[in-house]
Amino acid sequence: MRNRIREQRTQRGLSQAELGSALGVSRQTVISLENGRYLPSLPLAFRIARFFDMPVDKVFDPDDAESE
Amino acid sequence: MMLTFIPARMRIPTYVGAGGILLGTAFFVRGGRLWWVGILALVSAAAQVYGAYRRGGEDSDEGALAGSRADERQKYISVRSHALAGNVAMIAAFLGMVAGIAANAIWWWPFGVMLGIVGLAYLFGLSNYGTSDSD
Repeated sequence: MRNRIREQRTQRGLSQAELGSALGVSRQTVISLENGRYLPSLPLAFRIARFFDMPVDKVFDPDDAESE
Repeated sequence: MMLTFIPARMRIPTYVGAGGILLGTAFFVRGGRLWWVGILALVSAAAQVYGAYRRGGEDSDEGALAGSRADERQKYISVRSHALAGNVAMIAAFLGMVAGIAANAIWWWPFGVMLGIVGLAYLFGLSNYGTSDSD
């Protein structure tokens, strides 16, 4: 499933560590999320969407399910 | 079991240290010629406690797990690793039991006990974490 986390993060000039700190997850988890290697739990997905002030389905693209 | 009164970074080192003390004590209680192995076990445990504490400060998945500050993905990794370890333990116990029986050896039954414990733990997990049929 593709997502726009990297795009939104870089637009805001945040590092992966800063975003991780804001979301309460590690830098490694932000990297995995951005690369689509890890699908977040529903609460984390909502935290990410709220942080970027976007609907969940705008951050995550459910139509592209090429990764796990 | 989470000992929350222990600071997060000290939890894994505490478990490691407690295991080392138990193992060392077992050799001392056993006595005989191998009492000195108890000292080796304690020294080794001290080194592993130090190693676990250092690892707990690293900026990595292993560091987060060792420091008891894992996020959801890191906990998921840990769960999968535990599942792998459980599968390997079950296969090893089964192979050990089969080998013991085939060799007509007396040491087959500890493998059988281990196999039984791992199997029961799996069934307990299914009943504990599984979903209920009712609403």
